[in-house]
Amino acid sequence: MMFLGQLRGELRKLFARPRTYMGYAAFFIMELLIVVVYRFTDGQRYMRQLMERNGLESDFYYSSLTLTFLVMIISMALLGSIFFALVAGDVVAKETEDGNLRLVLARPISRLRLLLVKYAAVSIYTFTFVFFVGISGYLMAGAAVGWDGGLFVSEPKMKVFAAYGDWTEGMLRLASGATGIGISMITLSSLAFMFSCFRIKPAAATIVTLAILFVDMILQNFPFFRPFQEYFITWRMSCWVYLFEYDVSWPKLIEAYAFLGGLNFTFFLIGYLAFQLRDFKT
Amino acid sequence: MLELESLHKKFAGKPALEGVSFRVEEGEIYGLLGHNGAGKSTTLGIILGMVAPDSGEARIGGVSVQQKRAQALRAVGSIFESPCFYEYLSGWENLRILSSYSGPFDKAAAEDAIERVGLTERIGSKVRTYSHGMRQRLALAQALLPMPRVLLLDEPTDGLDPEGIKWFRDFILGLRRERGMTVLFNSHLLAEVEQMCDRVAILKKGKRVYEGSVASLQSEEKIFELEVDPWPKAAKFLELQGCKILSDGRISMPPELDPAVMVAALVGLEVRVSSFAPVRHSLEDLYLEITR
Repeated sequence: MMFLGQLRGELRKLFARPRTYMGYAAFFIMELLIVVVYRFTDGQRYMRQLMERNGLESDFYYSSLTLTFLVMIISMALLGSIFFALVAGDVVAKETEDGNLRLVLARPISRLRLLLVKYAAVSIYTFTFVFFVGISGYLMAGAAVGWDGGLFVSEPKMKVFAAYGDWTEGMLRLASGATGIGISMITLSSLAFMFSCFRIKPAAATIVTLAILFVDMILQNFPFFRPFQEYFITWRMSCWVYLFEYDVSWPKLIEAYAFLGGLNFTFFLIGYLAFQLRDFKT
Repeated sequence: MLELESLHKKFAGKPALEGVSFRVEEGEIYGLLGHNGAGKSTTLGIILGMVAPDSGEARIGGVSVQQKRAQALRAVGSIFESPCFYEYLSGWENLRILSSYSGPFDKAAAEDAIERVGLTERIGSKVRTYSHGMRQRLALAQALLPMPRVLLLDEPTDGLDPEGIKWFRDFILGLRRERGMTVLFNSHLLAEVEQMCDRVAILKKGKRVYEGSVASLQSEEKIFELEVDPWPKAAKFLELQGCKILSDGRISMPPELDPAVMVAALVGLEVRVSSFAPVRHSLEDLYLEITR
């Protein structure tokens, strides 16, 4: 019960920050841009051609569901990583820098519990934000191209191609895909959270996290590393796309999330140890 | 109520505390004095479990902070110089969040604390709109949630105007009177310490160089200011009696000498004595003398 009260406080802090609203606004604008690009420019031509080459009727499959998928995958790749690294990188380091943590650490709460509360809040925040992107993306896409139609998914890197003619099935796949992205993004937040527990500036925690992820993303595409792709964080984070397969590869999915879960635990543990060993002078 | 036993701490190889020990009794207001870097904040950090000592232990109500921190701090409230609240939240939300780290939020207790510190009207406003004095009042309110038995004050009156300082002092003294609260008071404002504290400890370069009651500090003084004529004749006599001439018209007298006898003797020597008054040293004088 007390944990829930503390979690409520952490979430209140996260959601009350001006930066949070700016993040929501930034995502909203980005989603709008993506929808505009795919609705009013030549951007849709490639997608339509791809559908038709696969024997699909592009007028039916170039729909709000397909656009929502594109919005989610593009905005998460471009802005999601930066935003989650920013929020999770702030969660401990910013409070240390601002001096808020002194008032908290003067209370009879263990450091482990404090970090667990903060970690839970960051995870919930990450997860819910992905759904915000999905829902707002769908509303924009629906307004732009209409609410009907099927879902077409093409993700060459993970070798997933699928088309769902039934709207309900498509929507369920999108919802499960959003859940998958949310879980995957928690790994990114965990990495930033770990650095946030170190004696570094909040911006440094964000930058180091992003640097690691970008290097990880680039290296996995080097021919030398191709055989080891599955050991890269960002490759594992992309496993949510399997949820769009006709027959979901549950073993692959479970393996990937177990890998990410192990990483999350390790990141938290390292962050906790660093935090526990720190002295906070008044 | 509060015991510190042989605390040692080094930062990057440099000693910050070297065997600091003291004990604060229940209901006592204890002042901790020292220059910047003397080890006051480190001491407070160790008491709150924010700093791990290299050796030694702090105990609150007999419970070791180093071994059972959460249990030891259950009855402790603290205020820091320039308390940093969540600026984008209201005072009420800050209290709610901070007190949730100590236990379930008690709305009635929070309202009572807010009323006590006189913040009822502005508690719903964002903290960023608060003045320094209001922030200190909010800090006091959060320290009282839940009502502590020990209050740790780290430079709480810094930056307050004289009215604010007096209000703060009266408030703390009132808490002690009403609830028998134990207070550890760390301040640079020596006049405040003098007016509030029963006993003081002075730290210098990580070592405790003095501990005693404020009253006893002052009673040890044997400095007198004289208005006599002729001064050279009086000075020569007093020096012969064992007094130390500090400056023209100012002497230090050994405790065994009786000032009344000295005055009578001076008058007998045909020295005109207009004034022979003891100088009560302020804590500031003593502090500077000890830490020099």
